[in-house]
Amino acid sequence: MQKPNAIEVSGLTKKFGDLTAVDNVSFNVSSDEFFGFLGPNGAGKTTLIRMLTTLLKPTSGRAVVSCCDVSEEPKKVRERIGVVPQAMTSDLDLTGFENMDLYGRFYSIPNRERKEKIKYLLDLVGLTARQNDLVATFSGGMRRRLEIARVLVHSPSILFLDEPTIGLDPQSRRVVWDFLEKFRKEDSMAIFLSTHYMEEAEALCDRVAIIDNGKIIALDSPNVLKSQLPGNDIISLTISDDSRLEEIQNAINSISFVHKVKPDGQTLRVYVDNGALNLTALLERVKEAGGVVTSVSIHELSLEDVFIHYTGKSIREEEAKKVNFFIGAGIPQKLGR
Amino acid sequence: MIKLFAVIERDIKKFRRNPVVVMMSLLMPIVYLIILGNSFQGKLKDLPFAVVDNDSGVYSGRLIDNLRAVEAGAKTFSLIFLTDQKAAVDGVRDGIYKAALIIPPDYTKRVKLKKQAEAGLFLDNTDTVSAANIRALVKSATGSIREEYVPIREKPGDSYIREIDLYSMVDYYQTLVPGVVIMSIFLGTMTAGVFNLVMDRFLGIDESYLLSPLSKTEIVSGLVISGLIITTIIAVFVFIASMLITGIPLTSGIEQGFSIFIIIVLTTLALLSLMFVILGRAGHPRIVGIFSGFLNVIFFFPSGAIYPIESFPGWLRAFAKINPEAYAVHALKSVLFKGAGLGVILSDLIFLIIFTNVMMVIAILTFKRNM
Repeated sequence: MQKPNAIEVSGLTKKFGDLTAVDNVSFNVSSDEFFGFLGPNGAGKTTLIRMLTTLLKPTSGRAVVSCCDVSEEPKKVRERIGVVPQAMTSDLDLTGFENMDLYGRFYSIPNRERKEKIKYLLDLVGLTARQNDLVATFSGGMRRRLEIARVLVHSPSILFLDEPTIGLDPQSRRVVWDFLEKFRKEDSMAIFLSTHYMEEAEALCDRVAIIDNGKIIALDSPNVLKSQLPGNDIISLTISDDSRLEEIQNAINSISFVHKVKPDGQTLRVYVDNGALNLTALLERVKEAGGVVTSVSIHELSLEDVFIHYTGKSIREEEAKKVNFFIGAGIPQKLGR
Repeated sequence: MIKLFAVIERDIKKFRRNPVVVMMSLLMPIVYLIILGNSFQGKLKDLPFAVVDNDSGVYSGRLIDNLRAVEAGAKTFSLIFLTDQKAAVDGVRDGIYKAALIIPPDYTKRVKLKKQAEAGLFLDNTDTVSAANIRALVKSATGSIREEYVPIREKPGDSYIREIDLYSMVDYYQTLVPGVVIMSIFLGTMTAGVFNLVMDRFLGIDESYLLSPLSKTEIVSGLVISGLIITTIIAVFVFIASMLITGIPLTSGIEQGFSIFIIIVLTTLALLSLMFVILGRAGHPRIVGIFSGFLNVIFFFPSGAIYPIESFPGWLRAFAKINPEAYAVHALKSVLFKGAGLGVILSDLIFLIIFTNVMMVIAILTFKRNM
């Protein structure tokens, strides 16, 4: 018999006044799937997770999590899920062990079982030696590992992770990825991950939904999403004289291995087959068209390119805009978009 | 139950690990007692009082003698004799003297002729307390300049009142103890209970327990009970320290101590639940800080801890009727100074119980379980 879906979402919408943070979103997540939600900050990821985890009431639509409607049976949903919110929520005044023990007691896990599970999880995340230290003395990476371990104390059937590696250095991020892979192999559970790091979604997720302005714009496995784009590499060429850009674009568009050329300021993003092999020929054609190339880069197609393909903008650019907007404001994104 | 105990234990551990907060909670009410005890109702001493005697006659001399008697006895003021009356008045204006008495040249003559004899008293009336004291003493001194002798025998037929104190003597310091205990409870409820919730909300920690299966009742009750334990310990410590400082004996022993404990517990619960209603949705500790000062004033001063409720205007008396601190102060004063048992303060205790229950219901109903 087929297992029921871990998450079933249909027409889910959340409005804050005139602002639609999540706009008529529908998708399913199977019971052992690693599902990713990829989009820039403000795209609606946190709002969606908060609705799925009962922290926000949907304006309309329906979400069933672990066979329970989030609006009708929020307590049952909370009993069956584990959530690592975007903000660090471990208590700084308690030790690592106390944080986990407290959480286990919230779920009424019997003493002996709780202690054994905590010991196992602390060992798994490599924090056994620091379990009696106050969390205030932990690094960001350690704290995040503790928080992931903490929400597994009650063996949830679905794990929600909202930007779990935000603010971590690359090494700590890699460590968290390894843990998530390990948990997934050892415990059969659905994992719902929201992130704005494409490499994170690409490395971990079976399927990825790309979200922008509250709407899902693409949903499939990373490989299928990338295969929908023309070519398999992108060569970015920066041209010194932008008055000749259109002429150069026309010249290289006619090459057989070039699928698409997209101007981006003084840069041309050229979607090609086998970029490394065809680079010389491409540069020749630019030269013939009278263009002077000041910089060249080649990269394999990524989910970032999928995002650009569908939205016409880069996640990184969107991130930069959001960061600039919030610098000086000193307040968290209350609306959670 | 295991969930409720987890919430309680967490809060107590967090409080214990903040020694500065523990020390401030214990010491601040004691310091308050010392400061308040010495700030109000103290005797005025050595107020600089300028005197210009332009008369140098018998009666001006007698007036000055009367003032000298005050200077030597009660020491309310110290006399400074000047000859320049302008310098004396300017001195008052400049704040050098609290008052200046100018005796005119014909003062004695007018007294002898039984005409109205006037001496000018220039007062720094911006300091109302000092001005009122000097005015009263000078009036008394001028009023008795005609008295040639001090009557030493009681006149037949006069009626006298003999005062009989029902209770043992209570000095001003001691009357402050109930207020100080209530103050310590108030401060405790501002550093525990709902404050922990606001702080967690500010730090984003609240999301972790909002995501757990804890119910509204478990969250609110857990925070109130942990606040109750913390605040009761603080209040009992402050009470014992205040007793030792002011020297109030527990005349009825264990029963009296038990009554005081019950009052402290019920007052704490009443204030904790009230704070939950007022601050249950606050998202920033600064809001608690602002409210803390405001609530302290509006609950403490109309409680009767400093001044009798009977002196309040009608609207403030009406507020005192629903002010839990007023009932707590009344109950504490009755037990401490009159040796009253639980039966006498039953109405106070019943009010505190009803108040707590109403506030707890409102707190749970208005507590937001989601974000």
